[in-house]
Amino acid sequence: MPITCHGALQDLREEVQLFIALAGNPNVGKSSLFNRLTGMGVVTANYPGKTVEVQLAETRLGDRAIGIIDLPGTYALGGISEDQWVARQALLDGRPDAVVLVLDATNLARNLYLGLQILDLGLPMVVALNIVDQAQARGIEVDVRRLEEILGSPVVPTVATRGTGLDVLVARAVDRATRPTALPPRLRYSVDVEAAIAKLEGPLAARTDRPHGLSPRAVAILLLEGDPEMGAWLAGAEDAEELTRLRDEMIAALRDVRGEEPALLLARERHGLAGLIAAEVERRESRPSLLADRLWRLTTAPLTGLPLLALTLAGIFGCLFYVGDWLSTGLSTLWATFASPVIRWPFLTLLGDGILSRTLLWGFDAGINAALAVGIPYVLTFYILLAVLEDTGYLNAVAFLTDQVMHKMGLHGRAVIPLVAGAGCNVPAIMGTRVLGNMRERVIASTLVVLTPCSARTAVILGAVSLTAGWKPALAIYAVTFGLALLTGIGLHRFLPGRGTGLVMEMFPFRRPGVLPILKKTWVRFHAFVVVATPIVLGGSIVLGGLYETGLLWKLAVPLRPVMEGWLGIPAVAGLTLIVAVLRKELALQLLITLAMVQYGPQASNLLSFMRPDQIVVYALVNTIYIPCVATIAVLARELGWRRALLISAFTVILALVVGGAARLLMSTLG
Amino acid sequence: MSPAETPAPTVETLEDCLQALHRLEGQGRRADLNEVAAFARITPAVADQALRDLQARGLVRKEAGDAVLLTEEGRRQAAGILRRHRLSERLFADILGLPWDRVHDEAMRLEHALTPEAEARIASLLNHPETCPHGAPIPTADGGVAASTARTLDQVSPGARVWIQQIAEEEPMFLRYLASLGLLPGAEVHVEEEAPFGGPLLVQVGGARYALGRDVAARILVQEESGAPAALRVRARHRHRHGMRERARGD
Repeated sequence: MPITCHGALQDLREEVQLFIALAGNPNVGKSSLFNRLTGMGVVTANYPGKTVEVQLAETRLGDRAIGIIDLPGTYALGGISEDQWVARQALLDGRPDAVVLVLDATNLARNLYLGLQILDLGLPMVVALNIVDQAQARGIEVDVRRLEEILGSPVVPTVATRGTGLDVLVARAVDRATRPTALPPRLRYSVDVEAAIAKLEGPLAARTDRPHGLSPRAVAILLLEGDPEMGAWLAGAEDAEELTRLRDEMIAALRDVRGEEPALLLARERHGLAGLIAAEVERRESRPSLLADRLWRLTTAPLTGLPLLALTLAGIFGCLFYVGDWLSTGLSTLWATFASPVIRWPFLTLLGDGILSRTLLWGFDAGINAALAVGIPYVLTFYILLAVLEDTGYLNAVAFLTDQVMHKMGLHGRAVIPLVAGAGCNVPAIMGTRVLGNMRERVIASTLVVLTPCSARTAVILGAVSLTAGWKPALAIYAVTFGLALLTGIGLHRFLPGRGTGLVMEMFPFRRPGVLPILKKTWVRFHAFVVVATPIVLGGSIVLGGLYETGLLWKLAVPLRPVMEGWLGIPAVAGLTLIVAVLRKELALQLLITLAMVQYGPQASNLLSFMRPDQIVVYALVNTIYIPCVATIAVLARELGWRRALLISAFTVILALVVGGAARLLMSTLG
Repeated sequence: MSPAETPAPTVETLEDCLQALHRLEGQGRRADLNEVAAFARITPAVADQALRDLQARGLVRKEAGDAVLLTEEGRRQAAGILRRHRLSERLFADILGLPWDRVHDEAMRLEHALTPEAEARIASLLNHPETCPHGAPIPTADGGVAASTARTLDQVSPGARVWIQQIAEEEPMFLRYLASLGLLPGAEVHVEEEAPFGGPLLVQVGGARYALGRDVAARILVQEESGAPAALRVRARHRHRHGMRERARGD
């Protein structure tokens, strides 16, 4: 269960003496900084209904307990996108004693926008001038003293990936948080805007019910910007008619004098101020661009971009299959050699060799073994690769290059990332659709992910079809699935209301990823995956074992005959394994062989003794297309809601039956 | 989906679809069923039905390759609806003082209800404005639209420097999102690169590099020279509206 943000924030706030928030644009090294400052005890929390998470952790400095909250990386604070909303809300709810603004020293002008918003909220700020090493390499010198003067906030140069400057940063932040007497910065908007703010500040100062205890100036600016939360507060506040009238008048006056909406006007002036500050404190030496930067440009250049992308994708698949396979074999062997005997012994000793103990062993022995063999190796490998791709900034180049293809399916470039992930395991891939803008895009992308054969389904295709019917039918199954996914995407784009958000994405220069941040990121994600998947594997395997051990499994096969034997032309017991395989896809093959042996004796371990090659092709095809597994359904429900999860699942079942039946008819016609 | 399954579209829906077609045409873009549906807030299936209905009424015609075009009469009617929409937006923003990011939604309702007389009264109350609160031109009563010299960003070739004139996007959240990235009227944009096969653009704005999808770039109107965006200049010329609104509120 996700922890609710509000509760988690309150809890942490009560436990610690000081509370510090980390804010910054995406990809400025904020997470590296967070990881350097905190240990392993990180709590992830969300606001109800929101998927963007904040991370909370506790650290110690001397005898002080310090709570640190890592806000999502955003360009601004506000209600515009989910990440901006969450960042803003966590700042207002958390009321941090100090906000550490992490700046990218190579791009001050754009980064300072967020800092100006934090100052507008009246929060005490400390600036981490991060990646100063790369700024220097690019010939950019920042006048730290001058920046401190202008912002009225301490500025500390840092290189978070190496830990440089972080001790000083923490000390300054603690200092700032404990002595909130520093002079407020003298940053002002244009005369018109300041006049409007001043008009509203007066009546606001007289009120004690300002939301989140914000300063009159902060509330005035938010009201002028048309902030929905402040608007709602004003609408519900007592004796606010005069203030409401004044706000409307100020907004109308600004609109008339400046010919622009105050919300846009403030955005424009903030960008202007940020640009002026950057120009004042930066000294740029013209230098030939770095070799790394020029090479990096090749990733998006028309001639070299696509070939490099093909190479990278091949590399990812290669890694997933080889490293994943190696881990899979290694972990299974370790389990069978060391853990399995230790686990089997107490069950068999205490409960005897009966239905109960054998059923429990299905879960605690075979179930965990299956998780180690298929889920975990591929997921772990993929998460490491994903972290590397993210931290270098290459994923953005991928999104840039594939935007056009994704467009045909109502998606944009960023959707290609979870689709690649889906070939390893659908579960993290569906979580990965969070990078997409709206629910429509997430539904389309998740449906496509579900139709992407994951490593477990690949195991069934290769293990059953290649061995009995040859590699051509196996390849055909992949081709059919790919075609179906494409058609489904195009169809969903046509029939779902709404439209895509379009690609608007920052392109980063190359960043050398640090080992520690990658491992930490991988661990946080992997941990979340294990927490979701393990109970399902355990419970599912135990239920399956119970059915098998009590013989109920065979009775359940009877009603399946019309569909399995009549329509798909495969034995009903084989159909039963298809249904059970919803627990874990690779179980289909394992169970088929086990059941075959029980039914027809040990010589049936070769599937061909009771199914023809064409039946096996239909079997693998249906197994590949229909609902991936319960873990996927659970994560679909968590991410998209139960209704959508069930719709997608039902769609894949129908599609599998239709395509399976069609394949049978086609093959019997062609002989 | 067969026509029998979809209920007949309402007049409001038909008008919304006409308006959507006119807007897409004004941006030099091909009519896309999903775009029309998204604008009218209906499913693509209903939009498909509505377009057939409009075709039967002689307001649109379909050409080879499923392209949907307005007929002469269709364009005239669509301009009328667009005029009522943008006048309504002005009414809500200037007279009723509704926040600027809500006027589009309100206008989507009111535009269908205005009689020609009410339309004329609103136009004269507002002193015949030329643009909507978002800066887009209001068609004249005879269906004409002031000529614009602006191009859309997706038509700019790599290497060029242009200035944003207006962002033709009436989803306020998206507008504000672009604004927070520095993509707002008046901003200088350097087009660095174009992805092959009609892919996204790579642009530089205020020291940051962004990838912009073609569809996003097509909504950004740009001009060759710097200076105040045309929308702002037009607004400044109509400063005298101010006094009128004060009177209206004083009543």
